[in-house]
Amino acid sequence: MAGEVKKSGKMTVFRTDRHEDMAAMVLVGCLVAIVLCYMAFIVPTVTVGAPSDGKLVSVAVPESGMVKKGEPLYAFEVKEKKWTQGKVEEKLVTRDVKSAASGKVLKVVAKPGDELKKGNPIVVLEHEKGTLP
Amino acid sequence: MEDKGIFGKIAAILPGLAFMVGTLWVLRTYVEPWMASAVLFGQKGWLIKVTHLNYILLAIIVGMLYRNVLFGGKIPAWAEEGFRTTRLFIKAGVIMLGSLYTIQSLAKVGGVAILLIMTFVFGTIFFVMFFGRLMGMERSMIGVMGAACGVCGVSAAIATSPAVKAKPSDVALAIATILGFGIMTMFISPFIGKALQMSDYQFGAWVGTGILNSGQVLATCLAFNPTIAPGTAVAYGEIWNVVRVISIPFVVFFITMWYWRAEAEAEHMSLGRILKEKFPVFVIGFFGMTFLSSVGALGAEGSNTLHLMRDVMSWIFGIGLVGQGAYIDIREIKTAGGKPLKVGLAAGCLKYAVALLIVMLFVSKESSF
Repeated sequence: MAGEVKKSGKMTVFRTDRHEDMAAMVLVGCLVAIVLCYMAFIVPTVTVGAPSDGKLVSVAVPESGMVKKGEPLYAFEVKEKKWTQGKVEEKLVTRDVKSAASGKVLKVVAKPGDELKKGNPIVVLEHEKGTLP
Repeated sequence: MEDKGIFGKIAAILPGLAFMVGTLWVLRTYVEPWMASAVLFGQKGWLIKVTHLNYILLAIIVGMLYRNVLFGGKIPAWAEEGFRTTRLFIKAGVIMLGSLYTIQSLAKVGGVAILLIMTFVFGTIFFVMFFGRLMGMERSMIGVMGAACGVCGVSAAIATSPAVKAKPSDVALAIATILGFGIMTMFISPFIGKALQMSDYQFGAWVGTGILNSGQVLATCLAFNPTIAPGTAVAYGEIWNVVRVISIPFVVFFITMWYWRAEAEAEHMSLGRILKEKFPVFVIGFFGMTFLSSVGALGAEGSNTLHLMRDVMSWIFGIGLVGQGAYIDIREIKTAGGKPLKVGLAAGCLKYAVALLIVMLFVSKESSF
């Protein structure tokens, strides 16, 4: 699609492809800035959900506890699929999931042993303003 | 667009754009969830499990229906300007895809991708040159078709056309032929991928190499696996595709030299001029996003921030794909006939099949990143 043509009003609202390319970059720049500002400064709390289907093994931080970015938040057991010699092999793996931002754990929604679907809530985190949860 | 001022232009764009956004909203909010829950032949979600239909394919199909059925073959004047933003959204989506990669992963995939892509790009061009001359096609038509089949479909065909003095009808025939071929592969590739139990990495590598148009690569990968995340078909397919897109200026230069070597009386174009005039600069945005992702400026992997970013990206792509469907004119495809059709289809099929064979034989199911 790149380099698609100088238009004569046929397939773009822009004068040339180069203008369209620049507009696409400006559009993305604006969207990224909006998303980052919204998440960093406007959203007060975020619900951290299960990264995939699996089982919650443990929660590392209690309610009202503080967590720093990069510290373990919870341990999660998942089925890991790997291609080995043309066949799918599945094995259970426990992973420590780290916090994406520093903040305070407001609520622990799930409890160890719960079988969770992808996106099911685990903890509610109040992140520090200016960080990306 | 006639000069009606910035506000007049925006006002002209709004109806068609709102129509595209509304279409996608209905598809994602009502149609796709209904398909996931509907019970057919005693199986819940049969429509999605068996047909692999998702909002991406639905967006294209509905777009095609708009143009060819509802609009009677031509996008109406009230929606025309809005639909002309289609490629803006597709390009913006491709730029945002850069957030799926890090510089480290790009460097890893680069070596394999560059070797495979360049072999296929120039292999296809040589095949079109050979077969086209055998069929007695005009050199300008061969040049345009070679670029169209070798690189990135529509873009490369149009970028090459002024350099080889191609007639508008040459360009139209090349585009209609490769888009027609692309539509066919877009729908059958996910089924082939599933039937051969290809991994996301293999499927992305095959489609990114074998399908001729960026939008169709994207749609096909998302039809195979609608998830947009690192390690999915769309992540691999687009990185392959971006490597191919980057080669456009070099292909244009190569075909130009080939053409003008025989047409000695005409003027030459320098590589510098081609780079300056034809390089698809939005690709720089793609790498910019990759850089931001590499330094963690877009949030950590798995964070709610990146999740929201990818949700925005899927909407941007979806809007563009409704428009892409509306630019598929069945009558234009029917006009693609004769020698260009034979050469284009032969080159497309050969590339598609050989790419599949190479990927199945030499590309492991596990990705290198």
